Amino acid sequence: MTIFNYIACILLIVLGLYAVCTQKNLLKTIIGLSIIDYGVNLLIVSTGFNDGGSVPVYQMSDLLNGVSAQFFVDPVPQALTLTSIVIGACVNAMSLAIVVMIKKKYGSINVDDVRRLRG
Amino acid sequence: MIQHFPVLAVMGMFLGAFLIEIFGSKNAAVRNAISFITFTVVAGLVYALIKPIIIDGGVIAYWMGNWEPVAGYAIGIGYEVDALGLVFAIIAITAFWISNLYSFGYMKGEHHLGHYYTLFMMLCGSILGFCMTGDLFNMYIMVEIMTFSAVALTGFITDKDGALEAALKYLVLCSLGSGFILTGIALIYLQCHTLNIAQLASMLSGGLTPTTLLAFALTVAGFGVKSFMVPFHTPLADAHAVAPSPISMVLSGVVTKAGVYGMIRCIYIMFRAMDLTQMQIIITAFGAVTMFVGVSMALAQHDFKRLLAFHSISQVGYIITAAGLGTALGLTGGIFHAMNHMLFKGLLFLAAGAVLHQTGGVTNLDKLGGLSKRMPHTTVCFLFGAAAISGLPPFNGFASKWLIYQAAYTKAAETGNFYYLIITITALVVSVMTLASFVKIAQAVFFGQLSEENKDVKEAPAIMLVPMYILAALCLLTGIFYRPIAADFILPAVRSTVDVVKYIDVMMGEGYAAAAGVYNMAVSNVMVSSWSPIVYLILFITVFIAAFIVILGSKSDRGATVEVDPKNAMKHSNFFSGEEPVYSHVGGSDMLWGYKYDFKPYYRVMEELHSGRVTDYCNMVVIATAIIVVFMFMFMR
Amino acid sequence: MTILRYVFYILVFPGALFTIAVGLFMAGIDRKVIAHMQKRVGPPLRQPMYDFFKLLGKETIIPAKANRAAFLEAPVLSFVSLCFIMLFIPIFGFTAINGAADMIVILYLVTIPGAALIIGGASSGSPFASIGISREMVTMMAYELPFVLVLLTVAKKVGGDQLVFNLSLVSEYQAANGSLLSHWSMIPAALAMLLVIPAEVGTQPFDVAEAENEICEGPLVEYSGSPLALFKLSINMKMIIMTGLFTSMFLGGIRTGFVALDAVLFVIICIAVMLVSITTIHAVTARLKIEHLFKFYWTVVAGLALVSTILVWIGM
Repeated sequence: MTIFNYIACILLIVLGLYAVCTQKNLLKTIIGLSIIDYGVNLLIVSTGFNDGGSVPVYQMSDLLNGVSAQFFVDPVPQALTLTSIVIGACVNAMSLAIVVMIKKKYGSINVDDVRRLRG
Repeated sequence: MIQHFPVLAVMGMFLGAFLIEIFGSKNAAVRNAISFITFTVVAGLVYALIKPIIIDGGVIAYWMGNWEPVAGYAIGIGYEVDALGLVFAIIAITAFWISNLYSFGYMKGEHHLGHYYTLFMMLCGSILGFCMTGDLFNMYIMVEIMTFSAVALTGFITDKDGALEAALKYLVLCSLGSGFILTGIALIYLQCHTLNIAQLASMLSGGLTPTTLLAFALTVAGFGVKSFMVPFHTPLADAHAVAPSPISMVLSGVVTKAGVYGMIRCIYIMFRAMDLTQMQIIITAFGAVTMFVGVSMALAQHDFKRLLAFHSISQVGYIITAAGLGTALGLTGGIFHAMNHMLFKGLLFLAAGAVLHQTGGVTNLDKLGGLSKRMPHTTVCFLFGAAAISGLPPFNGFASKWLIYQAAYTKAAETGNFYYLIITITALVVSVMTLASFVKIAQAVFFGQLSEENKDVKEAPAIMLVPMYILAALCLLTGIFYRPIAADFILPAVRSTVDVVKYIDVMMGEGYAAAAGVYNMAVSNVMVSSWSPIVYLILFITVFIAAFIVILGSKSDRGATVEVDPKNAMKHSNFFSGEEPVYSHVGGSDMLWGYKYDFKPYYRVMEELHSGRVTDYCNMVVIATAIIVVFMFMFMR
Repeated sequence: MTILRYVFYILVFPGALFTIAVGLFMAGIDRKVIAHMQKRVGPPLRQPMYDFFKLLGKETIIPAKANRAAFLEAPVLSFVSLCFIMLFIPIFGFTAINGAADMIVILYLVTIPGAALIIGGASSGSPFASIGISREMVTMMAYELPFVLVLLTVAKKVGGDQLVFNLSLVSEYQAANGSLLSHWSMIPAALAMLLVIPAEVGTQPFDVAEAENEICEGPLVEYSGSPLALFKLSINMKMIIMTGLFTSMFLGGIRTGFVALDAVLFVIICIAVMLVSITTIHAVTARLKIEHLFKFYWTVVAGLALVSTILVWIGM
């Protein structure tokens, strides 16, 4: 099952990179960044997935007494994904805020117009 | 007690940030007091770690919530401070302390200063956390906080031309880099099911699988973006040029170093790939290209701070090259240069900030000139910094660059590889090109003729001069006493970088590394040094003063203002072939003409590459990352 | 006692007095030989010394637009740093401060007089001086690449797979294996070095920075009196230092056992080197343009040095 997850996340990352590298509209650049972020999140959450695994609620003594880690879904990647989603949301919020201000100041959000700093 | 200090330092910084947001957004005195006290206390906490870590050679491990490893698996977040991390933390906190002091003068009169100091302290806290953490995901979180606060601070003065644009470019490219790092972390987790760096170091010791190899390539590329090596350098030049000067100082002095630190941590300790020849070649190649592109772009700039920004890129190239050589001497030179770069580049950015502050925001090199008569203290500080960055003895830039040349040449001689000779030559030639671009600034800003607009410029206030003089003194002192500093401060960091076994054992329990079959990397531990500047300098200064007094002192009325006799005014005016003297300042664009003429085709290409379009920059990042990945899969299987 | 010895080294031999005396003497020979080459009689050998003392007695005028401190300190910095460099260059078997410096340090120390000239010129506030320092800087960048190549080639030749940057060791190697010029793989490097010397000293055809008849001596245009005397003296001192560097790198290895005799031989060889690299080239060429100079050094001279580097690197 997880193989589809990996294919999907690679597709998402490549799609995001494509958007970032080719789209001239700054909003689309930011959408591309978000897509990359979703792809990576999918990758992380897939790493912890065990097909048919149980909920990871155990006593420490259970673990030490030989309940194998194979049988539950790894909780750490889920925590990582949550953190990563929060960070992604922050990136979006901040970049969108900057784009709004750029629109006010430059009158355009085309990358060909937003290039006063160069050379 | 002492093992709590690293966490307290990081948390203290974030606590200070929130306190300022709550209490300091209205009242300037409260705000300044909170930030000054926080920075001083945290600096004290960090400096207190010197004794157990650098002098005694220990490593401090700390498990958050006391979640110690169970059955050889790290399950909690661990902080681990070794000498390498501590040296970078010390570089960071010193730069921030000085920059904070300077901010009091420089940022006076701006709006929303509460937010400024909050972001500033978050930036500092994140970098301290980045240097001290022993957990890979924690490292990523800290990198993200660092990027956020750096972006927000870059665009802090939103009215400034280009600030928003630079912030956006910085954000987009750094997010790409963070994406690479995060993908790398996910892949590593997929393979090893742990995020603790010490444990990873022991698990990844038996060669790299394709998954970890991809993770390695992506992590190196990601930290490459964070350290802004060419071709990831483009947003740095924009960001440093438009950010407020104290921020430029920490961006170039600390934030780029954080990327370098991440690379060293990743390559030397986590993957321990530095003894592979191919790894050395690709890292030094990136470093050498970074050196040359940075300095050659700097020579063509017309903006004071943008020029300095390109020099940051160039100097980071030195550090990456030195670290990429994979020898103890090279690493010593690299870490030493990281410290020195913080000192002299900070000094130069502060000098640029003083000029900008006093002239009302002019940084165009063609519009300034002759300021040395109006701002003598700034000029002296600038000349100190320029001499240090150009590597003139006895300043600190010379000491560290000299170690780097020796390391590169030793590598060339030992391996008999012509490639390393080219690296050595590049490093040496880049140094004189650095001098050239600082001659350009000196002529265009401080010397030459004073224009009408800048006639009433005053010297910067004392609160801005004091940090500059502190840095200038440090530049000179670290250059003169480079031997004890290199031996007692930098070398422990190098040893801790090489001593992976100890790093693992302290974190995961005694004997863990041996059980996992981890060996220490073979590194030749030679310290070649014969240049002793102290005697030379004492003699030099003595003779200089004596010569000055004997030759010029008796006749010149030095220091007194010249009484220009109105009848004899022509005698004291500049020579104009008998014509009436006019204002004729040779600005920055007119300098170094022959060089620019001969390099015209090169600059045409470079102008194409630095097009200012964020999509082009993203393309460069993606292509370079692809190159790194392909290289590693081709040569490092 | 050590202090006294150092004071002697700096003030008399091989520091200030020796360098000044030999430098002025060499400048005299240079002028005389050029005059003879151009079918003139030429000034007496002591003429540079007369010029120097004459300038010392003249009034020092500081332009109103100049930065006084930098304007006056630059010539002294140039002069004093030149007094020191000779201490690091071995005079055959004898080095004043042995083991204290290596080629890289010397490479940087010879940059300091150039930097002092640039600061002095820039602080005078004259546009002629500004153009002059721009050219001076480009000249420095131009000869740096071949200079570095030559130094690394010598290091490789002498050291093999060891790191040898110390000039005393270069001298010892030559005492054992014959002078480096007798190794044919080093001849291109020696030629490159012979071309670096005139650019470093600033003589025709590489004197674009001080071009008298277009930019009125460039950085020196506003100088007069004793600061000018010091700068002129610095140029003469550079002659002995650069030719001395050439001698100890390529023609070293002579050991008579007496320092005085060594010194005399050293000066004679230096004069011979000067006659080849400075005087002859000066007499037969006209001034280059700055862009031609830069291209010349980064292609022809660097190419010569590179040939030598590759030859040495493949073990010739």
